[in-house]
Amino acid sequence: MRDWQPFLGLPLWFWLFVIPTLFALICLFYPSKAKRLMHRIWPVMDRVYLAFGILSAIFMVIILLLIVGQMVARWTNTVFPGGTEFAGYAMACTSFFALAFALTQGSHIRVSIFLNMNGFLKFWLDAFAMLVSAWTATYFARYAVKTNFLSEVLNDRTQGLDQVPEWLLSLFAMTGQWPWEWGATWSNTTSELVYTPVWLPQIAMSIGTILLAIAIWDHLFRLLAYRETRIFREAIE
Amino acid sequence: MTELYAIIIFLFALFLLLGSSVWVGLALMGVAWVGMELFTTRPAGDAMITTIWTGASSWTLTALPLFIWMGEILFRTRLSQDMFRGLSPWMRFLPGGLLHTNIAGCTIFAAVSGSSAATLNMVGKMSIPELRSRGYPEYMIIGTLAGAATLGLMIPPSLTLIVYGVTINESITKLFMAGVFPGLVLAGLFMAYIVVWHFFGTGDRPQKEPSMPFSKMIKESLFLVPVMGLVCVVIGSMYLGFATATEAAAVGVVGALILSAVQGSLNWSTFSVSLMGATKTSAMIALILMGAAFLSLSMGFTGLPRAMAELIESYNLSPVALIAVLTVFYLILGMFMDGLSSVVLTMAIVEPMIRTAGIDLIWFGIFLVVVIETAQVTPPIGFNLFVLQGMTKHEIGYIAKTAIPMVGLMLLMVVILVIFPELATWLPENIRQRN
Repeated sequence: MRDWQPFLGLPLWFWLFVIPTLFALICLFYPSKAKRLMHRIWPVMDRVYLAFGILSAIFMVIILLLIVGQMVARWTNTVFPGGTEFAGYAMACTSFFALAFALTQGSHIRVSIFLNMNGFLKFWLDAFAMLVSAWTATYFARYAVKTNFLSEVLNDRTQGLDQVPEWLLSLFAMTGQWPWEWGATWSNTTSELVYTPVWLPQIAMSIGTILLAIAIWDHLFRLLAYRETRIFREAIE
Repeated sequence: MTELYAIIIFLFALFLLLGSSVWVGLALMGVAWVGMELFTTRPAGDAMITTIWTGASSWTLTALPLFIWMGEILFRTRLSQDMFRGLSPWMRFLPGGLLHTNIAGCTIFAAVSGSSAATLNMVGKMSIPELRSRGYPEYMIIGTLAGAATLGLMIPPSLTLIVYGVTINESITKLFMAGVFPGLVLAGLFMAYIVVWHFFGTGDRPQKEPSMPFSKMIKESLFLVPVMGLVCVVIGSMYLGFATATEAAAVGVVGALILSAVQGSLNWSTFSVSLMGATKTSAMIALILMGAAFLSLSMGFTGLPRAMAELIESYNLSPVALIAVLTVFYLILGMFMDGLSSVVLTMAIVEPMIRTAGIDLIWFGIFLVVVIETAQVTPPIGFNLFVLQGMTKHEIGYIAKTAIPMVGLMLLMVVILVIFPELATWLPENIRQRN
């Protein structure tokens, strides 16, 4: 547990794992109160998941364009430096951004043999599975974010030939800075291309995994409050 | 001794998490975490993310969403219906009649789609009502369909083979090529079964199809041309070395989009539904792959795979015996989980074994697909059975019974693969490499 620095006086794991679990217990014992508290938030959350699903779809189109671009470049004997790396980043973006969306649509695979045995198991086993999944996903997200920050601190650069304009980095760097630091950042920004720092594409991993963790917690709360799962899947994929 | 503990703890955690219906990808991560915390001093979380990031941002993997998308486009637009229409005139004269459209339809749709559920869904949607109205016996309609749909994973593109290739670092193009002949042989076996049933069956074969003027046959079969052309371009470009698997997938998507646009069935709704469907499926597979990447890292630290490989080696099993054992193992595993999950779950352990035994990994991929697909039509958990149940409203048990002859044929296919390994290895050895 040495890896969990304190945050607002309590260790980080308390905030990430214990507090949501306590809230899940509230949903279990006071379902009507939980529903009243959350029923305005849930539609908003659904839209957020959908929005990231759409973002992920856009990145899938980008993969297609990058690969077609690479082929065209080869046929015309021009070079497309870093095309493979960019396609890889786009791949990571599609995968991570859609994790939560796929979850809410019931697309992720699970072994449902015991789940469908009877009504008791359907509720309690699902609740247990979601709680374990939520812990795992939270752990995943926590380390994804940590790695993301570490890549930035270590100034980890790509191993390939892919370059991005420096202003793009400054744009994303702004989100992690105080407004009074923005001026300094931009004054140091040249109009040149720089080798892609790993933290830039890793933002997709951080956002995607955080969203996945939130989505699982969210659906655990819904399950406990409604006493039945709110994940509905298409009849046949 | 440590290995024994490792096995017990891994298996216990695995069964607990998977059995309690934790999503497969997250369950694998959980098991891997347990392994890392117990058997190594390395920080589990950091190692986990490094592995997952490397895997998730790899270029090889991009073939996956693109092939899924291509299948989705064909599935959501009218292209596949047309393909079916073009197919039936040529099947009506064969003994067994239109039942052959089940097999041929699945074979062709398998060549544009990487999943057996999609193949089953697509072909079944069109052939079941048609065959029923012509009075073909129900058990033959459903049985042949359940069997033939498994071709979806054999004939390239195949999602399972992509996942297998990414997991063990083998060329996806080679794996795809390896699937071509075994897939066709399996389709041939199914068709032969229909013919045998026709001549020696219990006599409930339907009346002969009415004849069709030749000009109409030609006209109808023109509907086959677009999809067949797409299949040829996608597989041909890989075979001739013009394109890697990923590029062939991109060509496939663009081709499918153009064809459906020309045909007039591409609109905003079919486009967006196919794109979102592909997004979901590829995220699902990505999560499993992330879990599997971490699990194999964790298992590597425990030394379990090497120990298992040495153990198997010390038994002095012949490759054939090893394959027989693995067949039974995967059939049992496939009773409880889907094909993709059983591949990623076991590869960390099985790969060293196979390498030590000197078995060709490309060949093994094809073997794996046949066995896993067999498991998909055996109860209690068989994904193809579920899809068929949703479509026909029959009991799982009934569908499984109708599929028994097909299961037999697929096991025969495993034997054929063992006797004639060239079936799978010849084509990949003879593709032109791009220079």
